[in-house]
Amino acid sequence: MERFQERGAAGRPLLSVVDDDESVRESLPDLLREFGFAARAFSSAEEFLSSDCVDGTRCLILDIAMPGMSGLDLHQELKRRSQKIPIVFVTALRDEAIRARVLQQGAAGFLLKPFSDIDLLAAVKTALRAD
Amino acid sequence: MTEHLDTRDDVPLETSIPEAGAPLDSILRTEELQRRPSRPPAHEKENEALVRLTSALADSPNTIFQTLAEIIHDITQCDSAGLSLLTKDGKTPHVDGRRFYWPAIYGMWNPHVGGGTPRNFGPCGDVLDQNRTLLFTHFERRYPYLMPVSPAAEECLLVPFYVHGRAVGTIWAIMHSDRRKFDAEDERIMASLGKFASSAYQAWMRIEDLKVQVAEREKAEAEVRQLASGLEAKMRRLVEANVVGIVMFNLDGAVISANEAFLHMVQYSREDLASGRVRWRDLTPPEWRDRDERAIADLKTTGVFRPFEKEYHRKDGSRVPVLLGGALFEGGGNDGVAFVLDLSEQKRAERALRRSEAILAEGQRLGQMGSFCWRVATDEITWSEQLYCIYELEIGAPVTLSLVRTRVHPEDMTLYEKMLEQARGGGDDFEWQYRLLMPDRSIKYLHAVARAIRGQDGQLEYIAAVQDVTERHLSEEAFNKARSELAHVARVMSLGTLTASMAHELNQPLSGIVTNASTCLRMLATDPPNVDGARETARRTIRDGNRASDVVTRLRTLYSKKKDFSPESIDLNDAVREVLALSLSDLQRHRVALRHELGEDLPPITGDRVQLQQVVLNLLRNGSDAMNKIDDRPRELLIRTERYEEDHVRLSVKDAGVGFEPQAADKLFEAFYTTKPDGMGIGLSVSRSIIEAHRGRLWATANDGPGATFSFVIPCRPEGLADGETGIDPMDKAPEAA
Repeated sequence: MERFQERGAAGRPLLSVVDDDESVRESLPDLLREFGFAARAFSSAEEFLSSDCVDGTRCLILDIAMPGMSGLDLHQELKRRSQKIPIVFVTALRDEAIRARVLQQGAAGFLLKPFSDIDLLAAVKTALRAD
Repeated sequence: MTEHLDTRDDVPLETSIPEAGAPLDSILRTEELQRRPSRPPAHEKENEALVRLTSALADSPNTIFQTLAEIIHDITQCDSAGLSLLTKDGKTPHVDGRRFYWPAIYGMWNPHVGGGTPRNFGPCGDVLDQNRTLLFTHFERRYPYLMPVSPAAEECLLVPFYVHGRAVGTIWAIMHSDRRKFDAEDERIMASLGKFASSAYQAWMRIEDLKVQVAEREKAEAEVRQLASGLEAKMRRLVEANVVGIVMFNLDGAVISANEAFLHMVQYSREDLASGRVRWRDLTPPEWRDRDERAIADLKTTGVFRPFEKEYHRKDGSRVPVLLGGALFEGGGNDGVAFVLDLSEQKRAERALRRSEAILAEGQRLGQMGSFCWRVATDEITWSEQLYCIYELEIGAPVTLSLVRTRVHPEDMTLYEKMLEQARGGGDDFEWQYRLLMPDRSIKYLHAVARAIRGQDGQLEYIAAVQDVTERHLSEEAFNKARSELAHVARVMSLGTLTASMAHELNQPLSGIVTNASTCLRMLATDPPNVDGARETARRTIRDGNRASDVVTRLRTLYSKKKDFSPESIDLNDAVREVLALSLSDLQRHRVALRHELGEDLPPITGDRVQLQQVVLNLLRNGSDAMNKIDDRPRELLIRTERYEEDHVRLSVKDAGVGFEPQAADKLFEAFYTTKPDGMGIGLSVSRSIIEAHRGRLWATANDGPGATFSFVIPCRPEGLADGETGIDPMDKAPEAA
């Protein structure tokens, strides 16, 4: 953590948060910045895909259930575009089947809301290492 | 006539001869004959007489006695001459004589022909006793029996005659005056005529015998003729009535004559018959000729052939089935008579019956449906073939109740016995389902519908149709299982969905809270602390907390959605009957025998009909479920309604199920308390809420025997019901309760 912080703002890895819930978009980037990452928030998969952050994002923190494209759809779309961004899925829906499915399809992590800051950091670190 | 004065022939001699009667010696003059001057023998006259007698015997034996009397009269120149024959009855000479009978008299006594005397009442008896010729004078002095016979006999010469050494009668000559006296010549010639009398007698006897024989034969013939004419008339009646065919035939194959009935049967005309074209051999189809030959063999040996069935060809070649029986006429020969009965109708009826039986059997086979008839008084049971197949018993084996019991599933035995008992007592139609346990341990499900009828003797009988519903039952069971699984899944799913949506709704703000709080702590932990950032994140934490609180409130609102309570006047019995109609098939499927005792004087109540029905349904379901595993006793459920105190009604549902532990009595009604694997523990809880909303009570008691009874009591007119404060929504809870 200290190591990332020492890199300074310009050298910080960019983490993108995609979630339709506003409170998550408000709170999660702040926490990630506290961890020392650069963070951007998007309210939908479409918004993320049309932004200029797709190539620069080192890790995607992705909600599953969203209006329009779901998190899973976005995962598939990124694969299709050969964008190998590690993804940590976050969801409020406790569903083991989905958890198993996304992990099997290559997700870097899976967190159930509400999650602790420690679990989040561990998942992000794992994701960055996979990258 | 003397005979007519006294017909008694058994009067003793002593009483018939008066004390004063003259002694025999005093009236006999026999010895004088030799002393009297005798006239010369008239040989020529005697010869003439004998020739006349002999020719008379040959020509007219019937009148030989009369001729003999005339000749005696002629030769002896007497006044009266005649014969006395010893007979039994005064007429017929066959038996030992006890009377004398006068078959012929010539001369003055001729009017007395046919008369006679008892043997010892006249001089003839004396002649036979002394076995010689006797000459009497005025014998009426000794034999008053002859006194009325006039004119009186001055002298009477009597000569006995014999057949085979036995005295059978006398010939006699009488002088009624003393114009002349009999002499030795008279004695001699009378003796000669006496010998002839014997021959004449024998000839006459033969004639008499012949007459008797002829008479007897004529009588017999007359009887036969009479009988025959009577029989003939009757036979003719039978022939002409044409109720049966009558045929005269011969063994050569000809039909000699026949009545209309027969001709109609084979559709030949009387002309055909007259022409000899109708021959029974030709009428008989080839395959029946052997049978005919057997009948002919019988005819030849016994003279009759017993009735048998065969066919004849009609004139047009079609066939007519007949019953045939007959006999040869007596006296051997070829000819005989037969009756022929047209069996077309019977055969048609038999065919129709066989066809309908076949159709029925086929129908039963196709429908896997058997039938039986049970005579209750005698326990006689008749099964259709298909029922034997269903029970897998040998077709035709005698059916008894104990045989049936060997197949009835042990768990259904009490139900079966109870059904039998009800059927014996009842006389109502009934319907039931039960299981068979087959020898290979497989189970068959049968559905029987029985109709009570009164037999011809007024005895109770059941006619029943029994269907093997195993396949249907199994598919139903599978369907029910699938349905209940589906229902269970649906319930779980709906709860899961609810939980998920609750979780989602709550977890979003919670997530924000946790994240903000974490951020806040981290901002405060930096050096220098980022107080503004921390304040901002704390503010967001509070905001998200409120959001979570809103979610909970929203959920509670969703759950406690109020519904308008709709009180109306209800006939509880009616409401119960509607529920019973809905749940009957379900109960039957669980082999629950439901009885109901609905009170007759129930007052109407005010309440929510649908909600109360929900309670009744819950209680029935609850009782049925409690007996699900009960197999050693009938699964009986009793629902009863009654008036309770003055202004309450009470409903109870009594089961024979597993019951409950005493300490669990209160828990039963708690939400989410359940003993069932698939239960939610909502039904009784909801039910209690509904009853309490009606200002009533719902409680459970353990039965004396197995099982429990759930009862509720509600007032007919509960206070304050219209304020809509029940807070119960049976529609929301119904799925769980079910």
